[in-house]
Amino acid sequence: MNAEVKFHPAEELLIGFANGTLSAGMNVVISAHIEQCAICREKTSRLEAQATVDWLKSTESVAADKDDSLSVPNFSHMVADITSQPQLREQALEDDSVSEIHMLDHSVKLPKVLAKVASKGLVWKKLAGGINQASVTLDDQTQCEFLYMKPGSQVPVHKHQGTEVTLVLDGSFSDEMGKYEKSDFVVRDKSHTHQPVSEEGCLCFAVLDSPLMFTSGLARLLNPFLRYRFNRATSMG
Amino acid sequence: MTTLAPTMGSFQMASVAKDNTPARTSKMADAASAVDQDSDESLLIAVGNHQDTAAFNLLFGRFASRIYAMGVKLTRNEQLANDLVQEAMLTVWQKAPLYDLDRGSAQSWIFTLTRNRCFDILRKMKRQPSTVSADDIWPPEGELDSQFVHEEQGSLEAEVEKIERYYDQLPAAQRAVVEQIYIYDRTHEEAAAALNIPLGTLKSRLRLGMGKLRQLLGTEE
Repeated sequence: MNAEVKFHPAEELLIGFANGTLSAGMNVVISAHIEQCAICREKTSRLEAQATVDWLKSTESVAADKDDSLSVPNFSHMVADITSQPQLREQALEDDSVSEIHMLDHSVKLPKVLAKVASKGLVWKKLAGGINQASVTLDDQTQCEFLYMKPGSQVPVHKHQGTEVTLVLDGSFSDEMGKYEKSDFVVRDKSHTHQPVSEEGCLCFAVLDSPLMFTSGLARLLNPFLRYRFNRATSMG
Repeated sequence: MTTLAPTMGSFQMASVAKDNTPARTSKMADAASAVDQDSDESLLIAVGNHQDTAAFNLLFGRFASRIYAMGVKLTRNEQLANDLVQEAMLTVWQKAPLYDLDRGSAQSWIFTLTRNRCFDILRKMKRQPSTVSADDIWPPEGELDSQFVHEEQGSLEAEVEKIERYYDQLPAAQRAVVEQIYIYDRTHEEAAAALNIPLGTLKSRLRLGMGKLRQLLGTEE
């Protein structure tokens, strides 16, 4: 059951996810949370339906050919080419090859999207305080990484200059504001100074996003983020 | 343009509208006759079932310029928006056989696949790593099913009694599917055969039904 998930993405983020206006990194971490959280999955379906309504409404005049601000080309030549293509009869089978990360004494099954992200191999680097980090590049707007905190480890006090999302994949960690367990979606920004500790050990996926992600439409709701510079200020030690 | 059909309410029509055979019960016949032959859903199903190019032409006329407008808005590039019309409508054509009413309105289906193609087009244009594609991020409907069934089976058996109390709150069609899988312990294929519905329909109903049960159980605990 997913009843124990306590921390979820804010509705604004899910709106961006439903509308396709977020960066790849942010989409990935939300997708991984949603796979494990029935509440957010349902919310997303609802927001997708709403996004559809918004789309149909905002393009009503275009569809009726009454919008002078947008000159729509004639696409009719495409039809014959498209309908000469074969159709799909079955959903493509999934590739389940890499889906686990092996820890000291057990393995952690990754959400599908993260299994895909990790499928080209992870290179782990040791940081201060018993933290291991494996960075992955998903786009030019975010820094994404798997983080493994050994049992008893402590991240040095730090601040974020961007907004950091941390998704707990296994184990738990705590900071001044609470304890976070599997599938929790933790958001920290410039206003937070925090010092995460993990007694039992913790595997996370973290995304630090830049303001560039919020470019248009409903995502403008997130404009307060624009105050933050895209620069991680992790003062280690 | 028809309005959005409520997702939960529309599933009863699915198998009837899809295989286009006479309805098996009078209730289903009523539901089937409520499907507007000119609705986006009917057209999409015709494209999927019969490679109906006339129906595709109608859908193309209804959606191409809307897709273009969405492309201009998201990419701010007319050429990419043009590519998006080509790719999104090609996907509509290719995937139409996978659509049924359980997946919600045709408009939502087209919206989400357009959003996904747009994401991939933008990534390609920006030469971002091809590690993940839109279909990894927004998995196709029903893809999560098998995993949930697998994960939930153990705890569900212990909680059957509790869940049974919630049965009445499930729509009949979803209840029948959940019952086949969890009470009679049938495989997806066997249950689909027993209920005489397509496998995809079964999976969607199972997903909806389990989501609902999970929600009910979650609120109690």
